[in-house]
Amino acid sequence: MFQPLREIEGGIQLSLNVAARAPRLRVAPIFESFLRQVYFTGVTAATGVVLRACGLGVIIIAVMMDMLDADVDLAVKILLLLVFREIGPLAAAVVVILRTGTAVSAEMAMMRVSGQTRALRYLGIDLYDYLVLPRVAGIMLATAALTLYVQFLAVLGGLALSPFLIEASFTELTDRLFDLFAPVDFYYSVVKSLLFGFVIAACCCWHGLNPPDLTQNAVPKAVTRAVTQSAMLVLLINAVFAYLVFGILFFGLVKAHV
Amino acid sequence: MTELALRYRRNTTRHEVQASVPKGAVTRVHVPDDDAKAHLVTAVLKARCQPGEELELFGESAADLARAQRDKLRARVGAVSPVVGLITNLNAWENISLPAAYHGSPPLEQVAMLAHEVLAAFGAEPRAFLARIPDELGVLERKIAAFVRSLVSAPELMVFDALEDGLSYAECRHAARFETQYRARQPEGTVLYVDTKEDA
Repeated sequence: MFQPLREIEGGIQLSLNVAARAPRLRVAPIFESFLRQVYFTGVTAATGVVLRACGLGVIIIAVMMDMLDADVDLAVKILLLLVFREIGPLAAAVVVILRTGTAVSAEMAMMRVSGQTRALRYLGIDLYDYLVLPRVAGIMLATAALTLYVQFLAVLGGLALSPFLIEASFTELTDRLFDLFAPVDFYYSVVKSLLFGFVIAACCCWHGLNPPDLTQNAVPKAVTRAVTQSAMLVLLINAVFAYLVFGILFFGLVKAHV
Repeated sequence: MTELALRYRRNTTRHEVQASVPKGAVTRVHVPDDDAKAHLVTAVLKARCQPGEELELFGESAADLARAQRDKLRARVGAVSPVVGLITNLNAWENISLPAAYHGSPPLEQVAMLAHEVLAAFGAEPRAFLARIPDELGVLERKIAAFVRSLVSAPELMVFDALEDGLSYAECRHAARFETQYRARQPEGTVLYVDTKEDA
């Protein structure tokens, strides 16, 4: 019964600890670990998303124009809206959860079970400094970068490949895109993807460092919990953001361009 | 009266473990079982005692120490022990240099020089050795890496916990040279070997 409360408390503590230790990123081995995390989460994932992201853009435009009889304006608007605000950050978050979330939680749980975290403590190395901070910061940055990359590819793919499927030229689509693009879409997706990265990293680090017990069997359990909860948290944040933007809050200061 | 680097006592219903280690000496402690060994080594490495334990390190009782004082005491102790194993996703060099890189001292050039010297003394080819991750190293090689890592902090007390565990006869003769290597760098240092009675 108290497990969820313990997890929430642990998550909050971990988040505060990471925030307080941010300046420690300058320490050489921590910064190195941060760079490795950015490379693993962002760079190595980049090639795998090219086709999927391009396909996403094509499908959105083709479905809008061909099946729903939308004009170029509406199709591009919906492409921007969906790709920048919803699907881009969500697609990147899914990739990060599946590739990095599983790896981070398994690695940390393994370190905990095999006594390596204890060894680090004996060496006077703080676990939050060396293990958690670089992973959280690295995953946040890489998720934001991966989101922008997915968005760019989806929009580019949509604009470049759609003329083969529908009756609209590339120039026509591109012109409408530049007319309709609003900076708020960009800021919105950056903030959202940073938050996604943060909750995924914090959740996976917490579960990795707190496996249900200290046997080998605890590792897959920790990974399952980390991945499930990360996905739930991402969806929850997405819902909150959608409510803030499309709902009644902010007194109309932020509005969708539909 | 002889000055002690370490005094430890633990009473349980099954047995009593006592260890007095004079400064600068080489002492062998044989404890009744693995549990007693783990308690002793953990207490020394943490500079902290559990209920039922008494621990004095370099003349200071570990019972009521502030965190800063405890950290200072811990920094004076090094160990080659399964309790302080290597980090499996770092190669040997990263394992050896991690504490120095994290704490900012000693400089990494100095660590590299020390590593090369010690590895050469054990007949290992430093470049190849340092590039390997722990899973690619043998038992003795892992102990050598852990030994070099603990030498980096120039500890005044070096604990060798079950040093010969998992080693062949020939490797045990190699491991016996840890003490010489330590002495060469810390002539005033104290050496403590901990074993269970069965191992002894």
